[in-house]
Amino acid sequence: MEKPAYSSAPSSKNGFISSLINRILKYDKSSTFLPPFSLGGWIFFLAGLIPNLILGWLIFPMVLYSSQPQPMNFNHALHLNPDKVDGIEGDTETDKCLFCHEFREDGTFAGIPKLAKCTECHDDPDSPLGESAPEKAFLTNYVAEEKEVPWLCYSRQPDCVYFSHIAHVKMGEIQCRVCHGDHAKTEKLPVYKENRLTGYSIDIWGRNIAGYKRHTWDRMKMDDCAECHTKMGHEENNACFVCHK
Amino acid sequence: MEKEHGHGKHQYGMVIDLDKCTGCGTCMTACAAENNVSVRPDESDKQRSIAWMQLFKITNGKEFPHTEVSYFPRPCMHCNENGRGHHVSPCVSVCPPTATQLDLDTGIVSQIYTRCIGCRYCQAACPYKARYFNWWDGYFPKGKGLERYLSPEVSPRMRGVVEKCTFCHHRLMRAKTKAYAEGRREIEEGEYITACAEACPAQAITFGDLNNPKHKVSQLIKSPYAFRLLERLNTKPKVYYLSTKDWVRKMADNYLPGEFKPVTKIGG
Amino acid sequence: MSIEITRRNFIQFLVGCVAGIHATPLPWKLTDDIAIWTQNWPWVPVPPVGEFTHVNSVCRLCPGGCGIKVRKVDERAVKIEGRTDYPLNPGGICPVGMGGLQLLYDETLRFPGPMKRVGPRGAGEFANISWEEALKLLNDRIARLRKEGRPQALAAVDGNPRRSTMSVMVERLLRAVGSRNYLNIPGAEDLSSMVGELMQGTEAPVAFDLENADYILSFGCGLLEGWGAPGRVLNAWGLWRSEPFKGKVRVVQIESRASNTASKADQWVPIKPGTETALALGLAHVIIKERLHDTRFVNDYAFGFNNWRSGYGKERMGFKEMVLKQYSPMRVAYVTGLNPDQIVSLAKEFARAKAPVAIFGKGKGNLSGSLYEAMAVHSLNALVGNINRPGGALVPEPLPLSSLPEVIPDDAARRGLEQGRLDQAGSWRYPFTRSLVNNLTEAILSASESPVDTLLIFSSNPAYTLPDGGAFRKALGKIPFLVSFSPFRDETALMCDLILPDHTYLEKMDDVAWPPGLQYPLYGVSRPVVDPLYNTKHAGDVIIHLAKGLGQAVGSAFPWKNYEEVLKARAKGLYEAGGGLTRFEEGQTPAWKMVNKASGSRPGYKSFDDMWKQIKGGGLWYKPSPAERNWEGLFKTPTGKFEFFSSRIELAFSRAAEKRPLQAVLKSMGVQQTGDEACMPHYEEPRLNVDRSAFPLQMVPYEMINLASDWIPNPPYLYKSLFDTQLLKDDSFAEINPKTAAKYGLKQGDLVMVKSPKGEVRVRLNLFEGAMPGMVYLPMGFGHTAYDEFLRGKGANPNDIVHGPKDPLSGYPIWWITPVKLVKV
Repeated sequence: MEKPAYSSAPSSKNGFISSLINRILKYDKSSTFLPPFSLGGWIFFLAGLIPNLILGWLIFPMVLYSSQPQPMNFNHALHLNPDKVDGIEGDTETDKCLFCHEFREDGTFAGIPKLAKCTECHDDPDSPLGESAPEKAFLTNYVAEEKEVPWLCYSRQPDCVYFSHIAHVKMGEIQCRVCHGDHAKTEKLPVYKENRLTGYSIDIWGRNIAGYKRHTWDRMKMDDCAECHTKMGHEENNACFVCHK
Repeated sequence: MEKEHGHGKHQYGMVIDLDKCTGCGTCMTACAAENNVSVRPDESDKQRSIAWMQLFKITNGKEFPHTEVSYFPRPCMHCNENGRGHHVSPCVSVCPPTATQLDLDTGIVSQIYTRCIGCRYCQAACPYKARYFNWWDGYFPKGKGLERYLSPEVSPRMRGVVEKCTFCHHRLMRAKTKAYAEGRREIEEGEYITACAEACPAQAITFGDLNNPKHKVSQLIKSPYAFRLLERLNTKPKVYYLSTKDWVRKMADNYLPGEFKPVTKIGG
Repeated sequence: MSIEITRRNFIQFLVGCVAGIHATPLPWKLTDDIAIWTQNWPWVPVPPVGEFTHVNSVCRLCPGGCGIKVRKVDERAVKIEGRTDYPLNPGGICPVGMGGLQLLYDETLRFPGPMKRVGPRGAGEFANISWEEALKLLNDRIARLRKEGRPQALAAVDGNPRRSTMSVMVERLLRAVGSRNYLNIPGAEDLSSMVGELMQGTEAPVAFDLENADYILSFGCGLLEGWGAPGRVLNAWGLWRSEPFKGKVRVVQIESRASNTASKADQWVPIKPGTETALALGLAHVIIKERLHDTRFVNDYAFGFNNWRSGYGKERMGFKEMVLKQYSPMRVAYVTGLNPDQIVSLAKEFARAKAPVAIFGKGKGNLSGSLYEAMAVHSLNALVGNINRPGGALVPEPLPLSSLPEVIPDDAARRGLEQGRLDQAGSWRYPFTRSLVNNLTEAILSASESPVDTLLIFSSNPAYTLPDGGAFRKALGKIPFLVSFSPFRDETALMCDLILPDHTYLEKMDDVAWPPGLQYPLYGVSRPVVDPLYNTKHAGDVIIHLAKGLGQAVGSAFPWKNYEEVLKARAKGLYEAGGGLTRFEEGQTPAWKMVNKASGSRPGYKSFDDMWKQIKGGGLWYKPSPAERNWEGLFKTPTGKFEFFSSRIELAFSRAAEKRPLQAVLKSMGVQQTGDEACMPHYEEPRLNVDRSAFPLQMVPYEMINLASDWIPNPPYLYKSLFDTQLLKDDSFAEINPKTAAKYGLKQGDLVMVKSPKGEVRVRLNLFEGAMPGMVYLPMGFGHTAYDEFLRGKGANPNDIVHGPKDPLSGYPIWWITPVKLVKV
């Protein structure tokens, strides 16, 4: 489309906004508008700039997120160490993850395991399998009471999002870590940080406040899904109704 | 009558046999229950109440005792064209934020509530009044416990967005998930059907892939008694109706006197 | 250098601020977060995700008992669907059943636990009490009545279907306490039982093999409005309209209004309401005259068809003579408003069909009907010999449930049992009727002090559902102590003094003993789909508990630990009868087809315990048995034949006439005919005793399938399916013919009062061509004064203005011809 003729017309006819733009673009020393900064001016400028940089980069993330500890620790590394824990089996890393984070018969993904999964091994509240304090606490507080552990979920998406794990993990053969990072080697659960405004975990936006992404698992926003779909040649899966409900 | 649905891989569609339809409203209830459609204390204002599947009552207009009543269950028609030959539904072509799309692979017209800006342009564009605007938030007062029957498969809507029938899209996802679990990529006929088709106690609603000649729907639409609502708008709806009654078929479109052609030859 | 804050410096500072903040993630992140925030309002519920499972059960919202599959997410039930592995309703259910979760989860519709009334009756002000306290209150009350020697002052009104275990339990409790005043809410099934008893000699209700019939002549049955077992009938309707039946099955609806059934039927025969008997007999006239009847059946297997001689040698009139003399097409045409040709062709079509069946039971069948009418209709089935044949009316054996051990009443109870029933059901006045709630109402209203001291109300809402012009509500006001077992805050419960809330049907185990009208025996068992949400108790368990608290004598009648044991004890009879099935698989031969094929059914269980486990799990026992073609020994009437002339009616007349003149007997029974006709189905015009010039129109209530009008509250979802010519804001609509409207100068949408001798209701008018001129049609299911904002104060309840005499012989109220006038508001 051609530019409308009036965009380069004299400013006086076009009101305040375009005259302002013209002035800035064709900056003229003789004009009284915005002279170059004096030294004092720079000080004022920096006095505005620096606190705001501090506010935006340092204070804002602290204010935006609240930290909540998980109800108890879970040692992924320990459970996945065949020398220490027997029974969690699988040929691949994904299979090992799926041992607890399993698919149900109808293909839906169970996510964080329920107590029933834990008690497949930790079945007796009186006899811990290991020696750690969290395990004992787990046995007395949850197994004995038959109460679910109120885990906080790092990757919970908004209600409008539909995500099919089985399409990605089984059919797409994507490893868990591609989106969730490598949890297998962690001994401690990271602190759960919740966005006070949205109510979702920091891990959705990424722990980096700038949204800078180094690994595929650093962020779980819609654009990240789309980016991967496109890269894998599944652009059709970027249609709205594939991932929204 | 042109009945090709050439676009895309699957073209899900529905055939409603009005001779079988008893007007009982089970489809409406099943739809509302399946899709978390909110119920307000006053549902009698039909400009405001929401029903993805709506039952319309028609009469032949004859005097007593020759009066007859029939019903049109009306879901979203999931139009394939906008009436001017473009492969886009009338509502999709007008949506400013692309909150609704015609899916090429399934033929389903989507509606993304979080993207909808509530301008209601699509409502104006829809010839079938299949789109509903949420004038209020869903009716789930505190302490009443109504939210306990909500299904997690469909997002409850907020005030200020438009909603409509999605052909129970989540059931397609459910069927796909099940198929994946069993190591299949394709789903069988009958694995994915809408809640209304499943619920109809008189089996008046058939659902399936119009592109698949083996599916019952693609056979049913060949009947000389098959028709679509406002067919001559050329919106190419994927919801077909069957009726052996001329007066019912005549109601489906606007005809000039003498223009309507009753079915004379059966077969083919 | 001094730093002054000048305007210029300030602007420079601001520019610094703006530049600074934009060089941080803050604005961008905040924009994104606010966008997400606006998409997640805290008041928009987010349904928790979880594991999807389903529980198979049986719907108990109506006696139809469809198989339901409830989809659950963890502990929550989220959707009710029809079961494809249930023979009654393969996959489909009705809209009320579909909306059942709203009845389970709507907290303001339910009682959260036992309660005691604190406000005035009907105000709905209750205080929570403990179960212990509540049961003690009732216990003391009953114990006192027994001590005072008047246990008969304990009465119960029960809406559970007659054959259900709950109904047996309630009656048993009363018997053990010493009261005969157990009243069952009358419905089409009771009428059908009476027809079975009088004409076929079996007390089981007449069953209809609809799926195998090719001509269905329906006398006002709302086949599409919820008649019989709705899941089954709607499924049959779909079958009739599909290959291979398409075009081969003819449905004819006889009804005054173009209802769904009438419109969707192949033929609509509009007749004046209440003249169905005349039409049936007129059809009989034509069939006999044209010699289209089954001569083998009427001559060899029927009694009273031809004239006969009594023991004294007196010639008695037979059905044939009566019909030929009195029901000529001309005369019937005059009574019914049809033309004679229509009657003749209808009769010929019916008689010439391969498998014609005539069915009775008005509307949904929730309300009582007319005995002579039902007999007249059933005599058509006999005329064409379509009794116990595929596609005909069947003479079913009762469901072989074990009977519970005999109750041995103690002295206190015996004294009470010696007293007659307050409703006079079973007395010489109403010899065949099992219970008459309308008579109880009269007995209470006519006495200075209520003869009922304590009334227990189970699974019913008589203050709303009875077509009595509000009389029962008035009677309730006179009863000193009212106890409701309803889980819902219905009209009757709000008047009660004590609430002992039952679980809803999705929280408990209970049975469906043979859905009405089904052609093969079926026993369904519901099971808890979710754990009880509130502090409610199974009414069956409460009865057992209550009985045990009333001392050894009453307690010994209830030797079970809980209600499930009672169900199991009764189900034992099914095992002993042998041959039933507990599984139905999707795609299996439909059970109605197996009826034809006498297939050797192999039960999949080894012992009774095994069978019970399967019934509990699958909720089902059924026995597709081949229809007997042999009429030999089928009828258990006194004559051993199908009786056109009922010898039981005659016997009842003569017994009653031993003490008083026959004329007086007939008058008390409401029978106008005094000759032999009185023992046969015949038409009598009801005497309204109302000045018809003051009430020139007739009000006919009608039922809808998408509006619950029985004791179950209407699931709010269903209001979506009502048109704005049925309900607009708080007004329901009366349907009248445009001609009637023109006559009275009324327009579409006008607000009018419908006035009858009993009262008035306010409605809007909907001009409908399908309404018979001169009639005013009011929908049932509106006009609640109880429940919550979804149901309360919406429309008018036609029951409030029903006015009519009693049906002859049965004593049921006639509710289909109320004289009314319309007054514009």
